[in-house]
Amino acid sequence: MVVLGAILGYPIYNLIRLSLQQYGLFELLQHHGVPVGLRNFSSILHDQIFWHTLVRTIVFTVVNVGLTMSVGMLIALLLTRVSAWVRILLAAGLVLVWSMPPVVAVQIWQWMTNSQNGIVNYVLTELHVGNYFQHDWYVTPFSQLALVTTLVVWGALPFVTITLYAALSQVPRELTEAAEIDGAVAWRVFRDVTVPVIKPALLILTSLSILWDFGIFTQPFLLIGQGHIIPANYLMGIYLYEEGYVKTEFGRGAAISILMLVIVAAMSVVYVRRMLKIGAET
Amino acid sequence: MRSRSAWNTVGVALFVVMAFPVFWMVSTAFKADDQINSITPTWFPLHPTLSHFRAALARPYFWTDVKNSLIVVLATVLIATAVAFLAAVALAKYRFTGRGAFIVLMIGIQMLPGAGLIIPLYVVLARYHQVNALSGVIITYLTFALPFCVYTLRGFILGIPKDLEEAAMVDGSTRFGAFAKILLPLVAPGLVATAVFTFVTSWNEYIFARTLLNDQSKQTITVWLSYFLGTGRQTDWGALMAASTLTSIPVVVFFLLVQKRIAFGLTAGAVRG
Repeated sequence: MVVLGAILGYPIYNLIRLSLQQYGLFELLQHHGVPVGLRNFSSILHDQIFWHTLVRTIVFTVVNVGLTMSVGMLIALLLTRVSAWVRILLAAGLVLVWSMPPVVAVQIWQWMTNSQNGIVNYVLTELHVGNYFQHDWYVTPFSQLALVTTLVVWGALPFVTITLYAALSQVPRELTEAAEIDGAVAWRVFRDVTVPVIKPALLILTSLSILWDFGIFTQPFLLIGQGHIIPANYLMGIYLYEEGYVKTEFGRGAAISILMLVIVAAMSVVYVRRMLKIGAET
Repeated sequence: MRSRSAWNTVGVALFVVMAFPVFWMVSTAFKADDQINSITPTWFPLHPTLSHFRAALARPYFWTDVKNSLIVVLATVLIATAVAFLAAVALAKYRFTGRGAFIVLMIGIQMLPGAGLIIPLYVVLARYHQVNALSGVIITYLTFALPFCVYTLRGFILGIPKDLEEAAMVDGSTRFGAFAKILLPLVAPGLVATAVFTFVTSWNEYIFARTLLNDQSKQTITVWLSYFLGTGRQTDWGALMAASTLTSIPVVVFFLLVQKRIAFGLTAGAVRG
């Protein structure tokens, strides 16, 4: 138990200690840092890039979580309405997508969206959405992050959908039928009967998605490409990596981590409280 | 029923859209170069070729890095399940001081954005000369795998009635005997689920492997794959897709094996509330 506690606690202890030190390459070789109090924090809070990145990341998180949850909910509802063979087909597809390693998914996305002969440009042009012949998706930060969003939502949908579908199957049939007999329209039945029953699942999935999307690194880092990562398309995970690891300012990096942790904890307060409650009860 | 067939059509269309990227990866991997590079796409590889797979396998460090991945993943899975099992038993069965704090700590680690731990881990591992060593990566993965494994296994153990164990002990079994004969078989599904979870996450992991391992001969397969595009002008999409297919095969196989159990395990906690 002690060993386990040490494995888990040591990094966090170090994180806090590092954030109060100047710890660069020189200190890394010396194996000890120079205490600087809260200077790391104040320098970050005075960094324009930090605030821009934070706003961008919050917008990114809201859009990604919103899309994941609403589309996931729609697909889960669809699963309850289709014939059995379609349900199995769709579930198999979802599990297949779920099992794609993120790094692999990024490579597929790059291949599908490459400007020379990407299939996305071809399909969009053929469907007369517009002329996307040799359209380059990697030019503006907005379209870069839009691509990252489609990749992230695509990868997150299976887990959310399958969990929501399982939750939906717990909704007692008599309840929804009774509401329908009473003349409630489909939307009202969903809002007033279904949602309250699946609320715990909805809350936990939303909080988990916030945790994952806020700190996301692999997908934007690889999809945008290391050479094209600039402050204008930073997300928090990448800002942390660039400031702390690339510039070998580990103290500053640790301070960013702590700020991220506080922000993400505030954003997903429901999940935290719930887990603490479960942890305390049992 | 008309509405049912309409929903079915939507469902099938959705399946096509969702699964298309995976299909496109596999399909590209088997296509000849002129089909891949043409402006008009070829949807199905009617004359499949294995040349891209051969090209991918012949790339430098492919086998070395697969071997590295296997070493890291297997060591992580074995240590994580063994330690997590003992810790979960301790958490579920015995009261000890600091138990609450321990649970909070586990949840805290799970909450940290993955990127947030690179820095302290890098510094700590550098202190003990574990940077650029597979052992350092294994330790790192354990910090992530353990909380989840402990938490999941604890749920399984709590589900076992205490009477069962006590009955075995009354019948003259030792504590260890009761443990091996009663507890172990009952938590076996939990062990399988956590082992698979650990396997998949460590096999897929990228950021820590990337930052902790600088030597090409020491990298894992995901890092190898991420460097595939490289700096070359002409991208070898066929070989890249073949390599991607190979990288995802172990995960797909494991997912198909335990798909139902994972979905169930994840939902059990979410729905119970």
